[in-house]
Amino acid sequence: MTERLAPDLATVAAGFGGLLRAAGVPASTERCSRFAAVVALARPVTVTRLYWLARVTLLDRHDQIDVFDRVFASVFGGAEDVAADRGDTAAPKPPPQTRPGARTRASAQPQAGESDVPTPATTVGSPHERDESGRLLVTASVEERLRHKDFAHYTPEELASLRRLVEELRVVAPRRRARRPTAASSGRRLDLRRTLRRSHRTGGDPVRREYRRRRDRPRRIVLLADVSGSMESYSRVYLHLLQGAVRGTGAEAFVMATRLTRLSRALATGHPDVALGRAAEAAPDWSGGTRLGEALKTFLDDFGRRGMARGAVVVIVSDGWERADPSLLGEQMARLERLAHRVVWVNPRSAAESYEPLVGGMAAALPHVDVLVPGHSLHALDDVLAAVRDASRR
Amino acid sequence: MSASPTPPAHPDGRGLERLLPDIATLQDRLAESGYLTDEGLATALFCAVRLPQPILLEGEAGVGKTQAAKSLAQVLGTPLIRLQCYDGIEAAEAIYEWNYPRQLLAIRLAEAEGTHLREADLFGPDYLVERPLLQAVRHQGPRPAVLLIDEVDRADEEFEAFLFELLAEGTITIPEIGTVKAEVPPVAVLTSNRTRDLHDALKRRCLYHWIDYPDVARAAQIIRLHVPSAAEGLTTGVAAAVQRLRSLDLQKPPGVAEAIDWVGALRLLGVTRLDGDLVARTLGSALKYREDLDVALGRGVSWIGTGD
Ligand SMILES: Nc1ncnc2c1ncn2[C@@H]1O[C@H](COP(=O)(O)OP(=O)(O)OP(=O)(O)O)[C@@H](O)[C@H]1O
Ligand SMILES: [Mg+2]
Repeated sequence: MTERLAPDLATVAAGFGGLLRAAGVPASTERCSRFAAVVALARPVTVTRLYWLARVTLLDRHDQIDVFDRVFASVFGGAEDVAADRGDTAAPKPPPQTRPGARTRASAQPQAGESDVPTPATTVGSPHERDESGRLLVTASVEERLRHKDFAHYTPEELASLRRLVEELRVVAPRRRARRPTAASSGRRLDLRRTLRRSHRTGGDPVRREYRRRRDRPRRIVLLADVSGSMESYSRVYLHLLQGAVRGTGAEAFVMATRLTRLSRALATGHPDVALGRAAEAAPDWSGGTRLGEALKTFLDDFGRRGMARGAVVVIVSDGWERADPSLLGEQMARLERLAHRVVWVNPRSAAESYEPLVGGMAAALPHVDVLVPGHSLHALDDVLAAVRDASRR
Repeated sequence: MSASPTPPAHPDGRGLERLLPDIATLQDRLAESGYLTDEGLATALFCAVRLPQPILLEGEAGVGKTQAAKSLAQVLGTPLIRLQCYDGIEAAEAIYEWNYPRQLLAIRLAEAEGTHLREADLFGPDYLVERPLLQAVRHQGPRPAVLLIDEVDRADEEFEAFLFELLAEGTITIPEIGTVKAEVPPVAVLTSNRTRDLHDALKRRCLYHWIDYPDVARAAQIIRLHVPSAAEGLTTGVAAAVQRLRSLDLQKPPGVAEAIDWVGALRLLGVTRLDGDLVARTLGSALKYREDLDVALGRGVSWIGTGD
C-alpha cells in the first residue's frame, strides 16, 4: 500500500517543499522525503494532522512558522482550525531574525565521524581566501598617512582602501578559563599518552606525570553599531570591522537605528560586498534617526537575557545621540551592565577636545560603561582593540 | 558524507509498532504518565520514535521540553539517559573518558613487575569510563533508550560536532578502540532555549517542534495533575491569570512550572478562588524578578486576578 502511494506522495511532498523554499523557508529535499515518510507512517485523515506532520519535518526554526502557515493554508486550506489548535497565542513574540532568504549554509561543517577535536568555529570563512588582487592592499605608506585621519574626512577612495585594512584587523577575543565541573584531584589533567611515552623512554623510572593545560576559551563578543544619520561617516568603516569580528571570532553583530537588526549571519557568510549589501537590506533605516534605548531594550529582551550578553564583552559604537527620552537608555544600560562582563563604548565624537558627555544619551549611558574610547581613526582603533582585549583583566 | 534518505530501522521496530501504533495512543500513554500533550507535540514525538529521527524541542522556559523526554522514556519503559549541556562541556563529559587513575596504576604495576606495557593495553575497554552518549549507544534494548541532550545551546558550537556522528549514524568512534555501533539507536531528544543559533548541520538531522504555552484549559488540566487537591475554580483562575501575565512585558514570563508553584502556594492558604488581594500576597510564586513584580503590580492586581 505504501509502495503504491509512494510516488504520488513524494511528488506532493517535493512540490510543497518547493513552495516553501520559494517563500523563503529552506526546506531541503532531505526534509521533504522525511515529510513523505511520516505521512506514510501516520496516514493523516485530517488537515490538522497533516499540518503537524509537515511542520515537524519541514521546519527547523520558530520564525519560519508564520510563513509556513501561509503556504500551508494556500495549498491545503483549513489553516484557521489549525491555528486555533496552536495553544496560547498571547505568547511573547520571538526574537527578530535576519530574513530567511539571507541564510546560507555555513561553509566549514565538521565531518561526521571525525574523531579528533573539531576545528573551532572561529576559523569558519578563512580571511586568507581573500585575494591575490593585491594591488588594492594598503601599502605601509598609505596606512601611515591615514593613520591619524578622522574617518569622517576620508575620501571614497581612501574608504575603499581602508576596507582592506579593517577587514584584516581581528578583534581579539579575551580568553576565559574553560570551566570543568569534574576537576581531577590535581586540578589539572594528566596526559596519559605522554606520561606513558616518557616512562618508556626513561626505562620507566620514575614516572613523571605530564599534564595537559586547560583550554582557555574566548569570551563572546557582541557588537552593537549605531548606523543612524549622525553616524553615517563612521558606520561604513565599523561595518567592515563588524564583519572582521564576526568572521574572525564568531562575534555577534547588530546594527541599531530606529530599530535593532541582527547581522551576524549576513556578515558571516558570502563575499564581503554581498554581505554588506544584505546588511543594508536587512537594516532599511540605514541613515534614519536613533532610538538607542529602544534598540538596546530589544537586544536585551530578545537576545541578551537569553544568554547572549551574559559574560560577554559588549562593544557599542555610537555617538550617543538619543532621539527619545535618554532615561530609557540609562535603564537599559544598567541592565546590560549587570549581564555583561564588560561594556566598551566607542564614540567617535569623543575625540574632539571640546567633547563633554554632559547631555542626552551619552550622559545617561556613561555610568554603566567600563571604557569609553573614540575609535575615530585607524590609530584610535588600536585603543578599541586594546579595550576589548583587556577585558579579561578586570 | 552522504545523507541517508532512509534512517536505519530499529531492530525492534515491530515492538514499537505494537506499543505505539498511532499518535492518539502515544498521547494517551503520555497522559497516563502525567504529561499532557496537544496534537502537535504528540505528533512530533510520535515521528521521533517511529521514524526514528532525532528531534529538537524549543519553547519558552518551563513549557515542558525536558519533561517531554522524561515522559517519553516512561512510556517506552526504557532508561532516560540525560546529557545536561553547559558552557564549556567537553567530549570527556559527554562521550567517554579514560580512567586515568587506573591507567596510572597499571603503569606503576607494570614497572614494579618489570613487565612491558603496550599503549593498546592501556586504552582498552577496561579503562573506559562511559558517559551519556556512549551509554546511549551501548544500550541493549529491546526498546530504544531515550537520550535527552538538554539545553544544547548552552554548549559551545564546537561541541555540537561531537553529536553529529551519533545522531546521523548511530555510532561513536573511539580512536583507540574503533567504532561502536548502536544495536538499538536511542530516541534522541534535544532541547534548546535559543541563546544562540544551532549549527545547520545539527538541525538538518532533526525534526523540529516549537512547544507553545498551553492554552488556559490545558494549563488548568496540567496544574490539576500536579496539585490535585486544589479547588477547580482556583486552578482555572490561576491558569487564566498566568496567561494574562504573559501578555505583559516581563523578563521571565511565567511558565507551567510557575503556575503549578502558584497554585501550590494558594492551596496552602486554603483558598478556592483567586482575587486581587490574593494576587498581591502570592504573586512572588509566579514571578521571580523584582522588576517583573513591579511591572505586574503596576498593571493592577485585580486585572491579574480576575481580568478586570
Ligand atoms: N504538558 C505538561 N504536562 C504535565 N506537566 C508539565 C507539562 N509541561 C510542563 N509540565 C511541568 O512543568 C514543569 C516544567 O517543565 P520542564 O522542566 O520540562 O520545562 P522546560 O521547558 O524544560 O523548562 P526550561 O526551559 O526552564 O528547562 C515540570 O514540573 C513539568 O512536569
Ligand atoms: Mg528544561
